[in-house]
Amino acid sequence: MEVGRLPISAAQKGKLISAGYTTLSSISSLSPTLLSRDLNISETDALEIIKHASLGGTMDDCSSSRAIIGAQTAWDVLHEEESATRITTSSVDLDHILGGGISCCEVTEIGKITALTSLIQLAVNVQIPVHCGGLGGKAIYIDTEGSFMVERVLQIAQACAVEMSTSYASSHNSLPPSHILMQPEDILENIIYFRVCSYTEQIALVNYLDKFISEHREVKLVIIDSITFHFRQDFDDLALRTRLLGGMALKLMKLAKKFVLAVVLLNQVTTKYTEGSFQLSLALGDSWSHACTNRIILYWNCDERYAYIDKSPSLRSTSAPYAVTSSGIRNSVSKCQQILRTQAT
Amino acid sequence: MPPLKSLGPGFPVIDSDFQSFCASLGILSVEDFLLHDLDALAAQADLRPSPERLKQGLALVFTIIESMHQPWRNGMEILEDVQKNKRILSTGCEGVDSLLKGGLHEGHVTELTGPSSSGKTQFCLMASAEVAYKHKGLVTYIDTGNSFSAKRIAHSIGQVDKKVLQTVMNRIICYSVYDIFTLLAVLHELEFRLKSQICERDGIARLLVIDSISSLITPILGSNGPQGRGLMTSTGWLLKKVADEYGTAVLVSNHTVSGNHGTTKPALGESWKVIPHTRLLLTQVGGSNCSISIIKHPSLENATSFSLLNHSQFCITYKV
Repeated sequence: MEVGRLPISAAQKGKLISAGYTTLSSISSLSPTLLSRDLNISETDALEIIKHASLGGTMDDCSSSRAIIGAQTAWDVLHEEESATRITTSSVDLDHILGGGISCCEVTEIGKITALTSLIQLAVNVQIPVHCGGLGGKAIYIDTEGSFMVERVLQIAQACAVEMSTSYASSHNSLPPSHILMQPEDILENIIYFRVCSYTEQIALVNYLDKFISEHREVKLVIIDSITFHFRQDFDDLALRTRLLGGMALKLMKLAKKFVLAVVLLNQVTTKYTEGSFQLSLALGDSWSHACTNRIILYWNCDERYAYIDKSPSLRSTSAPYAVTSSGIRNSVSKCQQILRTQAT
Repeated sequence: MPPLKSLGPGFPVIDSDFQSFCASLGILSVEDFLLHDLDALAAQADLRPSPERLKQGLALVFTIIESMHQPWRNGMEILEDVQKNKRILSTGCEGVDSLLKGGLHEGHVTELTGPSSSGKTQFCLMASAEVAYKHKGLVTYIDTGNSFSAKRIAHSIGQVDKKVLQTVMNRIICYSVYDIFTLLAVLHELEFRLKSQICERDGIARLLVIDSISSLITPILGSNGPQGRGLMTSTGWLLKKVADEYGTAVLVSNHTVSGNHGTTKPALGESWKVIPHTRLLLTQVGGSNCSISIIKHPSLENATSFSLLNHSQFCITYKV
């Protein structure tokens, strides 16, 4: 039934079919008054249905409708991938295993109990101006647990501003002029903070982001800390939870692609009992695990922090060490500086 | 099926009298005729003035319906066709090809299922590169998770001249789709393009990949109404139609959920099970090795043989 593929409610579809309208061409040539009388609905509703039907009908007739859906050939995608700038993590090893940093147009999931410093570091690094090799964009920070600490952001922002001016000074042999020097206050101003207290607020905010980012095109990074918090407690209807999470994941993917920005989600680590042993895995199970493009797991190994790439369409599964200092994420200071090409455990 | 009114201009016997007679019996479209018995309708027509004209109209409509069925073939014709035309596409991995006795079947829907990071996207990318390069066919890649990596495809094709690489990569078209209605629109557009291209053998769409279809269906499945399952089944039906009528191989990827007693089973439930012709399960077996096994296949045994995909060296080799 062609009317089955119209994005309208099930009740309206039922009315259309019982009135004898089963093809799109039979609807698109009608007048709204006639249709509203036949189906016993309001004229505005009838007009909506006719609009959807004529849109679906023209897809078949127009030979160059590829542009409407936004298809690209692999060759174009290759060039886009090669020229895309990535968000650096401020650790050379981490950037190396990530192929340069966190990439835009992708949803990256980070698994850790708490990774506040990493997320803040990304929020600061996304603002590095284009002439210093960064994206020069703003960041949106969505806080679901209340773990955002402004003092820590100021610390990291100050360290970043100092580093940028020193690197400018060393490459230009002079102090940077004040108009291009980034102050920590500017960096804080470019982080847009939202606080959500329930899962309905979270879903409403994700729906609202499309409109918000259309008005604030400089946003290049969306951080959600953490995506799973409100869905883990007291959720009785698990089927509803799966549907809501699936829908939210698709909306985030669409945001990332449409506005060419990076989406970073923090997911909590939990233990799972499989095959007689307890294993660390991410919360929300199998149905959520396919909702991200890349997954990075942060873990401790003999007093050192490591990041492991668990899932990626184009990167190898390797680990890299990093360190957390008062200035943020930096290179690991341990003796063994090589990247470990470990097999997954 | 068009409403009855649209037949009016072409066939004068289907006039307004006939249409009002049909409307009184609840018949508004040609399709509704199929639900009624011809003799019962003729008996109803006898009760009206000018029954002969009404019966003429009924006979005409039934003749039109009869001419619309699909052509039929006998078993020998099908066997000769299968033996003469090679309808199998290799996947780019010799181990998997030997497991599937050749590769992916054109005209069949193959489902790849497996837990997260078991190699499903890699398999899809590898098969796309193989079809575009070795078989010189068009590939339609529908990506729902921003996982399409042109870099990986270029890597699979290997070291070739830049012009050749460009020609091959231009045969792969990637759509980013984030809801089920857009998917249906893309499939209908593809069907329309295939219908108008049916004469050219070279450069026709040989492979359609949807990675992953479960992320589009999960948000709509399971709510109170049957609409979600209805959309899932119509999508499956449309995939099978595109595969069968135009000889395209369809490859879809699905995720797994936990079943009874800690086992894993493919997602999307029992109604989806019947849609793919072939179902393959990928599992990680320690390290970055994956094993692939057959759950369902129209002509091979299930799950008895397996092959390994090893992609630790960032290129896919195989071991049987």
